[in-house]
Amino acid sequence: MNDAKSKRELWIGWWTLVVFYNLYGLLFFVVTRTQPPPSPSAEPAAIVQWFADRHDGLIYGYAVVFIVGGATAIMNATLAWTMRRMSVSRAFAYSYLVIYALATLPGMLLMGIACTVGAMRPDRDPALIAWLYDFAFLSFEGTMGVFLIGSLVWMAAVLLDKNGVFPRWFGYLNLCNALTEVVVAPAWIFQGGVFAWDGAIAWWVNMGVFVTYTAVFLTLIRNLILREDFGTGPLPELPTR
Amino acid sequence: MKEARETAAAARFVPGQPDMWAFVLFEALVFTAYFTVYVVCRTRNLELFLQSQAHLDLRVGVFHTLVLLASSWSVARCVQAARERSYEAALRHAYLTVLFGSVFLVSKVLEWAAKLRQGFGFTTDEFFSFYYFLTAIHFLHLLIGFVALGIAIHQLRSPLRRSQETVETCATYWHTIDFLWVLIFALLYVMR
Repeated sequence: MNDAKSKRELWIGWWTLVVFYNLYGLLFFVVTRTQPPPSPSAEPAAIVQWFADRHDGLIYGYAVVFIVGGATAIMNATLAWTMRRMSVSRAFAYSYLVIYALATLPGMLLMGIACTVGAMRPDRDPALIAWLYDFAFLSFEGTMGVFLIGSLVWMAAVLLDKNGVFPRWFGYLNLCNALTEVVVAPAWIFQGGVFAWDGAIAWWVNMGVFVTYTAVFLTLIRNLILREDFGTGPLPELPTR
Repeated sequence: MKEARETAAAARFVPGQPDMWAFVLFEALVFTAYFTVYVVCRTRNLELFLQSQAHLDLRVGVFHTLVLLASSWSVARCVQAARERSYEAALRHAYLTVLFGSVFLVSKVLEWAAKLRQGFGFTTDEFFSFYYFLTAIHFLHLLIGFVALGIAIHQLRSPLRRSQETVETCATYWHTIDFLWVLIFALLYVMR
């Protein structure tokens, strides 16, 4: 296969990342309105009302998530490919793929399933609806450990790599992202305040770091594809325009 | 002319990898966000924060600060010795840094244990939530700091591996931990 065709495949992977991160942002923030997260201390009656207010958005929004959710495989494969281009062992890319395949469950599907069930069964006991609400947001916010280890795997790969796939500061940014994933853990304990699942520290600061981190790695992967020479050694510098 | 070039070169020089300084910047921004949230919450509930803060022993905070400042001094001596190719002295100072760091860790755990015995836990009130959160996240950074020191020691032990840049990078990380602690100490123990 010639280089132009191979690059086209990499660009498909990169555009899948860009399109789906934006789409997920739209679905979670605008269509389903499940982000920013609501209060964890809401009473069952308020929770039933919360589901009623978002009924159509939850059903149609998560229907789209369930239909296109498989795109995460292409996204994760593109991220894992960056590690395959490094001089490090293939074990890094394989670990990352497995971790992020698992992360799809708490990061997307469990919340979607719980919210869809709550929206589709409004006649159920409010206590059960409140249970679904807790399950949805705790599974989403409280299980960031998989992302923590994923970031550390990427960090180690970047810092050990001799091919110059990514700058070393990106390795350190991975560490920064990993450390903010730890900060979400108190969301299991608190139902209000800055450490709750909607809190200034557990959610807002974390989201700020995550958005920055995502924008950075999308840019770096774009540059990586531009630099790619399909060899196995050090990558050339970014071509000048 | 030559002087101007040397001045310019000195101005550009940063110890270790410039990438580590990017990490220092990221962490400084994230901690600034935590500190801002702390100050806002404190302003909203000043009386509770002052009452709870009174249960912290300022002397313990001062001791922790002095120990970490001493560790920063020893890691700086380690870098200086490595620059002068006195690798035995550099290793001695690296081990001394590990010792100071360990004293801090043990002392911090003892302080937490004492607070828990007195009935002040993570959920006792907003001040103690911040106290445990900020000291624990700093503790985690310190644990990573031991990995950095381990890398520096590994480099210094063999002439085949010695990289001044790596030693300085690890020292920069260690200084960051100290820098963050001084701010945490000021906010939790001193600001009354």
